[in-house]
Order: sequence, then structure tokens, then C-alpha cells
Amino acid sequence: MVNVMKGVLVECDPAMKQFLLHLDETLALGRKFILQDLDETHLFISSDIVETLQARVDDLMDQLSIPVHDKGL
Amino acid sequence: MSESSKSKSSLNLNPSPTLQCKNLHEYLKSRTPQFLETLYNYPTICLAVYRELPELARHFVIRLLFVEQPVPQAVVASWVSQTHAKEQSKACEALSELSVWQEAPIPGGLPGWMLAQSFKKNLKVALLGGGRPWSMSSSLEPDGKARDIAFLDAYALERWECVLHYMVGSAQTEGISADAVRILLHAGLMTRDAEDGSAVITKAGFQFLLLSTAKQVWLFLQHYLHTAEKRSLSAAECLAFLYQLSFSTLGKDYSTEGMSNNMLVFLQHLREFGLVYQRKRKAGRFYPTRLALNITCVGEGSAGPLLSSGQARGHLVLETNYRVYAYTQSSLQVALLGLFTDLLYRFPNLVVGVLTRESVRQALRGGITADQIIHYLEQHSHPQMLKSESGGIRATSVLPPTVVDQIRLWEAERNRFTYTEGVVYNQFLSQADFTALRDYARAAGVLTWQSERTRTALVTRAGHDDVKRFWKRYNKT
Amino acid sequence: MTDKLVDDDAPSDSSLLVIIVDTNPNQRYITEDPKVLTGCLDAVIAFANSHLMQKSRNLLAVIGCHFHKSEYLYPSPGKPLDVRQIDGQYELFTLVEKTIKMRLVNLIKSQPQEEKPGESLLAGALAMALCFIARMRREATPGLRMSSRILIVTGSADTAAQYINYMNVFFTAQKQQVLIDVCSLDKHLSLLQQGCDITGGLYLKVPSLEGLLQYLLWVFLPEASERKELVLPGRGRVDYRAACFCHRELLTIGYVCSVCLSVFCKFSPICTTCHTVFKIGGPLPIKPKKKKMKV
Repeated sequence: MVNVMKGVLVECDPAMKQFLLHLDETLALGRKFILQDLDETHLFISSDIVETLQARVDDLMDQLSIPVHDKGL
Repeated sequence: MSESSKSKSSLNLNPSPTLQCKNLHEYLKSRTPQFLETLYNYPTICLAVYRELPELARHFVIRLLFVEQPVPQAVVASWVSQTHAKEQSKACEALSELSVWQEAPIPGGLPGWMLAQSFKKNLKVALLGGGRPWSMSSSLEPDGKARDIAFLDAYALERWECVLHYMVGSAQTEGISADAVRILLHAGLMTRDAEDGSAVITKAGFQFLLLSTAKQVWLFLQHYLHTAEKRSLSAAECLAFLYQLSFSTLGKDYSTEGMSNNMLVFLQHLREFGLVYQRKRKAGRFYPTRLALNITCVGEGSAGPLLSSGQARGHLVLETNYRVYAYTQSSLQVALLGLFTDLLYRFPNLVVGVLTRESVRQALRGGITADQIIHYLEQHSHPQMLKSESGGIRATSVLPPTVVDQIRLWEAERNRFTYTEGVVYNQFLSQADFTALRDYARAAGVLTWQSERTRTALVTRAGHDDVKRFWKRYNKT
Repeated sequence: MTDKLVDDDAPSDSSLLVIIVDTNPNQRYITEDPKVLTGCLDAVIAFANSHLMQKSRNLLAVIGCHFHKSEYLYPSPGKPLDVRQIDGQYELFTLVEKTIKMRLVNLIKSQPQEEKPGESLLAGALAMALCFIARMRREATPGLRMSSRILIVTGSADTAAQYINYMNVFFTAQKQQVLIDVCSLDKHLSLLQQGCDITGGLYLKVPSLEGLLQYLLWVFLPEASERKELVLPGRGRVDYRAACFCHRELLTIGYVCSVCLSVFCKFSPICTTCHTVFKIGGPLPIKPKKKKMKV
């Protein structure tokens, strides 16, 4: 029988997808949220997690970047 | 593979609430045809609408202006060269949307176009004369205390900044009426504080502050018109008067004689926002200021600041090292700059800041877009920056490209995901079942993603009900 | 389809149009019926106002070109007229109409009575137009992109008397990226057509004066960037004959000074323009070694 699931499609680059898989496996957001792994650049996730996820990704980007400008003279 | 590009616009989950500013065209489009019909009885509105039309549409109108019978649609199409069919259909669409022309059959059965009677008549009046004079043009004795343009500019700027200052809660809070506050609240630019009921600025309000003055005025007035009807003012009448003002001459006085009571009230409001200058409430004459004249320029893009008088010139210099130098004393401008820069030094007439990833991201988190930042910087560029470009040929931007790109990149890195709400169908029993459902969804334009190998299809939420019904029907047969 | 709250519209664009109206009383259509001039003038004014109607930043100048001088009809030098609306017409349009009519009357009154009308000083008027354009460009707000063009409306016949002046003006215009459009009311004008071709403007000889306004609106109202979208009359064949510097006659074959490239219909031993002396070898049979084909 055909299975039907509601959720949100996420489109991103492969690196970011791996990061999401990682978050999912380590239960970093408190629970599993990936409903289905579609392909290289697409994931299907539950829709109530989107906001938390966005904040988490922001944090990640913060950790990744190194300030270039010295505010000095 | 992915078909998400088709339906990306269907749903926006990305959490950045962007303030919407309709131009005249879009404002009118959202009104009823009856309302438009009333509007087209004013030559000023016809003139304003004409200027808002796409280039080609303007030529269509002017070519049809003196033609009394319908013109075949095929003939109109033949005016445009084949390679620009897209522009042509856009022009035709705009004309139909605004009911500037209507379809009219031609003897012989061909479909034709014909300009709306009232639009045609009143555009001709505006262009060639005839009809009655506009309401504010009664003759006047020369004004003993005539005001010059510099005075009017200063006045307009002061009044308008008063509104803006109120929004950011700077010291000046007097000189703004309850009406103005109501409009700001209505527009969602400010909101009542939950605790003490005082008005505080919203995210949309900050975005509003970053706009060009002309756009600010227009957006503000749009909300004024929305609330106008509640105050028993007719929106059509107000709009007509507003455009009448925008077609007046700067530095000239106009008479209030013969204006209805409603319009006199409206005039007092405009006076408060600095769109017109009046020495006394009962002076019997008023001077339109540049703010009123600029209403018409909103749609035309605006290179350089519109208020060209002394202090309103651009004051920002942006260097390739991300430094921003702002030659300003206005605490409002400094506060605005502080929205997306780290301020380093402050001198009596100069503020130095630097655009950093952090400061820009802070602004982005606040819902301000990269475009808004860039346009703000562009809008207020110091004349020296405008001059430095090669004469005549305008580069896409006067700002250093590295900085512009970097700001956009900072925005892009926050949007590494695109979210589309949808419903997954999988675990089909046969390939044929899957293909049937997929093809149906694709034909209906609701398919976002599919894979034959895993027999999985993704349908937008809006299309889900329809596809479900189809699936039930399909299963029965 | 609301745009986001950013000013991402196309770069601001304003268009400057300078109209040169030939008001010389010896044009054939005026000598036949002087009333026609009023009709033509009305058409030109309506056209000028249509141009201003296109965009709020559009600029306009009108130059009257007579046989004794050329003068600005609009904008008037000094303080503009104080105009109040008399009917539903847009104030600015009323101002344009009033100013042009008033200044034209002054121009015609100022013409010397005893002299017989000579040739219209079109080249001079063109130079004035270029100066005006240069000034407006200088005064424009930095960053504003402005396209400029000149429209000549004339019923005068083609003469080569001002050939050199014409060519100077045409090439200046080309360099300044100013389009020259020509609307001929009477005869075919090959020299001015050359100017159109050089600067990329349009040339039109109107078949009848009846619908002059319609011709103007259809052909000359679109500005340069819009013209490629519309179907407009083509270039046609352009007659590129040059006029000789000595008798101002159009030539297909002539003599060219090797130093300054002046064109002559007859051989002369000293170039009248740059005073170069050409040596004549032997007796007089002229050796046409400087002979050149002009196409």
C-alpha cells in the first residue's frame, strides 16, 4: 500500500546534508527528525523542527568562520 | 530529478519577514474596477497611471489615444518587433490589469483593443487641455512672504525626520500627532509595548527606515489611504489630490479656495508630514514641498538622493576595506548605520564604522535583507563616490564590488537550505502506479521532487488533496 | 507580484529632447498657406508635451530657427512665466505651450523687415542644441543616466551652403552620443539624412501635413532604447555625396586636398582652407593625381 507522509523538503549542498545526517544520528536536537533521505541534495524532515534547525546551522556557521577584520587602527 | 525550482515560490518557510511596498501599479491592481473607474475621472490620476505603465504600454496608449474605434489586437501586436514578444505581452497585460483598455470586438469578428473612455478623455485633457481646472489652481494675490525652494526643502526634511525620529524613539517626540502614530501602528511599523502601552518600533519599522525617502512617503501614504475611509475621507479623492500635488511646481503657492472640508482636513495631515507648507492653518494658500513632488518618482528608480538640497545629500563613503565613513550629525542616521555596522569612532560631524560579518549577520537576523543594506548604502552615497565613476556610463553600483558581494555572501550562507512544505508518497506496489501518480502531479504542476528508482514522489501541500483524490479514483479502476 | 522593499528598479533614466522648429517664412508650405504653420506648431507642442508626459524626469528644450537667428522658445531664459491653470491641462504643459507661442511671436517680430528671407540657420540651431545638451549633462545630478536626442522639424529645401557646419555638428553629435532625428515636411533632405545616419537617428519625410502629430508620435516619441523594440521605418538608402568647399555643390567626383581633406570641384594650386601650395608639374594640363572617388 502507498505510504503518505507530511513534512518539509530540504534542498541543500551535499556537505550540509551530511551535517544534517550527523545532527540526526547524534540526536543533537533532542530527537530524530529526518523522515526520509531522498538523494544527494534532498532530505525530507518533520516540519516542526525547521526553526531549531535554522538556529543550529547559524551556530555552525559562526564556529566555522574566522574574523578577518581587525577593528584596530 | 528535482523540480523544486518550479514551485519554490509556492511556500516561503524561510523566516525573514520582508516588508512589502507596492508601487502605484500594484496598489491600483489590488483595487476594484469600480474604484479604478472613479479614479480615471481625474486627469491627474490618468497622467500618473500613464507614467507607471511599462515603456511599450505607454506607446500603445499614445498611439491609440486619437483613435475612436477599436483596433485589432493583431495590429497592435505588429507594432512590436518579433524579438520582443515577451515585453509586448507584458505591456498588454499591464494595460488590461489596470482597465486602461478593454477588449472590444471589431466588425468582422476579430478581437480588438479599445482604450477605456474615461481614461482616454481625461488623459487627453491632461495633455492637450480642456475640461475644468484642478481644484487648487484658483488665482492668488502674490504672497507677501513667499518662501523659496531652500526653505521648503529644509521644512520638508525637518517634518519628515520628525516622524522618523519618533519611530526610533529619539529625543524628539513632540510634534507628532495621534493620527500619525495610528498610521504607524496600522502599518505594523510600530507596535504597542505589552507593558506600558508605549509605541515601539518593529522589525518592519527598521526596514522602513532603510528605504529612500520617496518610498517611505509613498508607503506611509498608502497606509494613510487605507485608514482614510474610516475617517470618512474618500480614498479616491485623497489619491487624486495627492497626485495633483505631485504634478505641481516647486516653490509656487496654490490656493485652498473651493476645496471641500474633507480635503482641507487631508491638507492639514499632509502639512504635518511635511508634504505641504502652510504658514497658518487658515492662510488660504500652501506650498507643496519636494516630498509631495517625489511621489511620482517611486516607480522610476532613484539614483542619487531625491532631496537635493544641502543637508540631505548623501553622506556615506564606503571603502574597499569595509570601512564606512558617515558625514552626518543626525543621531537618526547614526542609529540606522549602527543597525548593520560596528561603529568605531564618533566625531562631531563624522562617524566611522566597519562592516563586519557579525554586524551584518545581526542585521540579517533582524529580518533586514542584504539588498536593503546595499540599497541604503547606495542611496546615501556621498557625491564624491558618485562622481568617481566613469562619466556617463553607470556601473551597476557605485559601491566597491567586493563589499557588495561579501554582504550578499553573508546573506547566502544563512540560506543554505531551501525549505518546501510537502507530502511524500512512497512504497508504491508497482512502477505503473508510481508513474501514474507522478504524471498526474506533474501535469497539475504540484510535483516538487521524484525518483523512479525508489518510487518516491513529493507533492506540495496545496496539491495534496487533489492528488489524494486522484489516487482514490485510480485505485478503484 | 509585489517587489521587495528595496529600490531595485532599473537605474534612473531621464531623456532630454531638443526640438528644432524651422520657422523660416520662405518654406513652401508656409508661403502657400500661412495658416498651416499654426497647425504644425500645435502638433509640435503636443508632441513636446507627450515627451514630457513619458517620465517625470524627462527634459525638453525647443529652439526656433529663423533665417536671421535661432532662439530658445522653451525654456525661456530668465524667470519662467507665471502660469495658472485655465483648464484641466497639466500646469507644466500649459507653461510649455504658452512660452513657446509667446517667444515665437517675439522671434518673428524681430526679423528684419527689409531683407529678403534667406536660408534657415539649421546648423547653428543644431550647435545651440548640442550646447544645451552639454550644459544639462554637466548640471545633472551625478549618477543620473540621461539619454539625449535632437529632433529637427523643417520644410526648407536641401542646400549645401552650410555643408561644413553641418558635418562638424553631425560628428560632434556622434561623439557626444546624441541622436539626430529629422522630420521633413516638404522635400527630401539628403544632407540631414546623412546626419541621421551618422548619429543613428531616424529620418522621415512626412507624406502629408494633415496627420503630422501622429507621424511625430509614432516615429519620434520612442527614445533610443525603446526603438529597437518597436517596428519603425528603416534607414533606406543614404546619399553620401559631399559638397565642394568652393561652390557648395554636391559632387560624386572631385579634388581632395591631401593635407586637410577639403573637397573641391575644380583644381586650384593653393588649397583655400589650409593654404597648402600644390606644385604643378609642367604646363597647365591638370594632372589629376589628387583625384579621388567619393561615394
